[in-house]
Amino acid sequence: MTVSRREVLLTGASSAAALAAASCTPSPIVAPPRVGTGDDRLAGIVERALDAARKAGATYADARIVRRRWERIVTREDLVVGLHDTESYGVGVRVLAGGAWGFAATSRVDERDAEKAAIRAVEIARANAKIVRHPVELAPITARKATWSTELRIDPFKVVLGEKIELLLELWRAVRDIPEVKHGNAHIELLGEWKLFGSTDGALLEQSITRVGAGFEVTAIDNAHGDFVTRRHEIPPWQAGWEYLLESSLRKDARGIGDDAVKKLRAPSVEPKKYDLVLAPSNLWLTIHESVGHPTELDRALGYEANFAGTSFATPEKLGKMKYASSIVTIYADKTTKGGLATCGFDDDGEETQRWDLVKDGLFVGYQTTREQAGWIGEKRSRGTAYAQDYKSFPFQRMPNVSLAPGPKEIGIDDLVAATDDGVLVTGDGSWSIDHQRYNFQFGGQMFWKIEKGKIAGPLRDVAYQSNSPEFWASCDMIGGAKSWRLNGALHDGKGEPSQSNAVSHGCPPARFKQVNVINTRAKSAHPEKREP
Amino acid sequence: MSIDEASPAVKTAIDALTIAKQIVRGGEVQVSVSRERSANTRFARNEVTSTGDVEETEVTVSVALGKSHAAASTNQTDAASLRKVAERALAMARVTPEDREHMPLVGKQTFVPVEAAHDAATVGVGAAARAAAIGTVVSQAEKASLMAAGFYEHGASESVIANSAGLFGWHHETNASMTVTARTADGTGSGWAGAESHRVADVDVPSIARIAVDKATRSAKPRPLDPGKYTVILEPAAVAELLSFYINALDARHADEGRSFFAKKGGGTKLGEKLFPESITLMSDPTNAATPGSPFDSEGIALRPTKWIDRGAIAALRYGRFWAAKQGKEPTGWHDVRQLLGGAAERPEDLLVGIKRGLLVTRFWYTRWLEAQSITITGLTRDGVFLIEDGQVTAPVQNFRFNESPVTMLANTDAMTKRTVRAPSRGGAWHVPTIRTHEFNMASSSAAV
Repeated sequence: MTVSRREVLLTGASSAAALAAASCTPSPIVAPPRVGTGDDRLAGIVERALDAARKAGATYADARIVRRRWERIVTREDLVVGLHDTESYGVGVRVLAGGAWGFAATSRVDERDAEKAAIRAVEIARANAKIVRHPVELAPITARKATWSTELRIDPFKVVLGEKIELLLELWRAVRDIPEVKHGNAHIELLGEWKLFGSTDGALLEQSITRVGAGFEVTAIDNAHGDFVTRRHEIPPWQAGWEYLLESSLRKDARGIGDDAVKKLRAPSVEPKKYDLVLAPSNLWLTIHESVGHPTELDRALGYEANFAGTSFATPEKLGKMKYASSIVTIYADKTTKGGLATCGFDDDGEETQRWDLVKDGLFVGYQTTREQAGWIGEKRSRGTAYAQDYKSFPFQRMPNVSLAPGPKEIGIDDLVAATDDGVLVTGDGSWSIDHQRYNFQFGGQMFWKIEKGKIAGPLRDVAYQSNSPEFWASCDMIGGAKSWRLNGALHDGKGEPSQSNAVSHGCPPARFKQVNVINTRAKSAHPEKREP
Repeated sequence: MSIDEASPAVKTAIDALTIAKQIVRGGEVQVSVSRERSANTRFARNEVTSTGDVEETEVTVSVALGKSHAAASTNQTDAASLRKVAERALAMARVTPEDREHMPLVGKQTFVPVEAAHDAATVGVGAAARAAAIGTVVSQAEKASLMAAGFYEHGASESVIANSAGLFGWHHETNASMTVTARTADGTGSGWAGAESHRVADVDVPSIARIAVDKATRSAKPRPLDPGKYTVILEPAAVAELLSFYINALDARHADEGRSFFAKKGGGTKLGEKLFPESITLMSDPTNAATPGSPFDSEGIALRPTKWIDRGAIAALRYGRFWAAKQGKEPTGWHDVRQLLGGAAERPEDLLVGIKRGLLVTRFWYTRWLEAQSITITGLTRDGVFLIEDGQVTAPVQNFRFNESPVTMLANTDAMTKRTVRAPSRGGAWHVPTIRTHEFNMASSSAAV
């Protein structure tokens, strides 16, 4: 059944309760009183937890009361197949005792339970302290009392539900008459994070972060040949209000996504060899994430992630010495980028957020650190990158927004294509994988275009590029200007054990990389290769 | 089935359903409650680094008005919050267009209780026991001049499902796992070992430490080897990792729609085709003592023993409720436990016999879809790859990126260990043997250690 915008709104208006729901998505199950509103109940709970930790012998403690909201709407073709709103709320207490960390959390946000969590955290720290040789030392901090929130015009959690649903159904209507396009999946995802952080250093920080994302993917099928491809929209999630999606190209591009799927289905399969690659920001962001973002996490470089995500080729003795990229490349970390998914006022150590260089003119110059880590490389102050995904998670080093600085000349993707003789233009992200020291990577994309003598010669399919991080970045010889810089990102980047999710953005202009190995992803038969007897 | 009436999760589910039914008059209501107590300690560089301890109950209320449906969840279990979460689900369902594929609630079911999934001893593990276990690992690593990193986690969980059509299911289980990665001081060697079980007693910490230390020591200073197709012995963690993509691709609807490996050119599916050797049987059975799991899935479907591959033939695809009804099939539900049955080899070493030149692979890393039509997956080897020459493990070698399909992996398997083990995995429980397979496509080299 296709539902028009009017029908959705009328359905919503059929009863008083539904009218309330349609005009204003239901209010949060828990509505924490805001700091400065005269209701200091929550600040009192934080203080009670900190007191209990101190009395139990903690040398440092912080308490975070966190409410997390997650709304997800999923459509398939003309059907709303999923509508789920999830909320979690609780308090987590982290302490240092005997030089070791302890952490405990409870979903009951009251003084008694917060106090019990604090005492349990100290007990755990004491158990851990028995096998600690290097007591944790925190970099000094200027403790602040402040508030911070996402700049937004329209709170997406308050937008009429019918409007959100209609936005997704409209995408399918734009492509459903394309014969080869048999399926379309779309979704909207909203993340709301409110937290109150207090520490024994005297910090009291209230922050409210709102993130919005949407997706649309179509599948084109050629049954006669047993062939199919998918094409996904390249619109990135942002830290923003609902207006971001309304003003985006989500709707405008929908038809083109369907047309692209058909082009991709019929496109010639790529000839595997070395090409000059022109990577659009919608593709390059993920390569930056994996080949620069993760390798410059200090905990990873020192072995703290060795059991799960691995280590890094960018080890501390190379800081200030290693050529990470060609001299035209500067890559910076920035938790203050407007719209950046990792942007906030203060990290989960209570440190103020910052911008700094990781790679400057091709040289490896910086790491991402927390208060615990700054001293490991002789730095006096944390870079402010501690984060915990929710109240029950232990804060640790998480990636800030990591971005490629634009080049000095105001050139765009057309100029990069025009300067390329034998290349492939890649847009959107596809398959991605990188080794556990961040050398060997292999990335796909959404659309691939053959470049011949400075012109787009037609679409290609089955493309992935495979390289090694330092070699790849050394081959970068053209970078677009500031006007071509775009901010892409992901709502869920995993790290740690148990795995925690972090939202992070990566800004970049398009860039060109010389002579990169391109493989054909269908080089192997679709049927199992039976071994010769 | 035996239900722990005193369980807070059961009480919360009954309260939530009662409240939701009062609020949602004339509609369908389903309540799912999961209560989890879990604790962990993480270590690296031979020291404890972080820790966690949490108990949480999550309540999900799903409401359907005709064919319009929505769900809301909260971790607050007081009566006022249960009321609000039901009101929210109702409000959303009211403004949602009809989903013509929405199925009515699953009615009253009889579930086979899986009591074996819950182990009282696992519930009692505390921070001191975790720290002591880590102390054991660290001391073994230090004796061998290695750096150890790892993760020790244990927990107990309950899940309850109840609905307005009379369905009621309760399941409780425990879990414990430890994984260790040991690295040489010069950074040229790395070895991994791990164990996962519903019983903490199965997590043999000294043995895990010994294997990780041994692999790290033996893997130091690996030599480079050309990419290419190799005969490989895959240890259980690697087997489970690649097979998880096969399981994820089993959706019957996608096969019928022509967008899956299991679709046949020109229409139809590959169901019944014998693509693998006779020795290959892949199945799910939550009552299996080796991998006890929940007897129902998130929709309340009773999970029955299912063979996905039976003696080499594709024996089943996964059917959701709508597609099963449309195609006249029984829904399979979503299984969380899987077993690849073992072969004839008494010991893993027996798989070496007859290999002229091959590789022994400990585990894989960063596995991702590369090409859906053939279930081709990309990923890397990690933490112990060794050259096999003339039936002997002769030298450590550098890691590889592979581009390979679990279909090809199974099709070319010619020997497996008799014994299967629970492989630490990223989701669900896997019991698999160590296998020997051929023509495995190592596509490029990786300098990572």
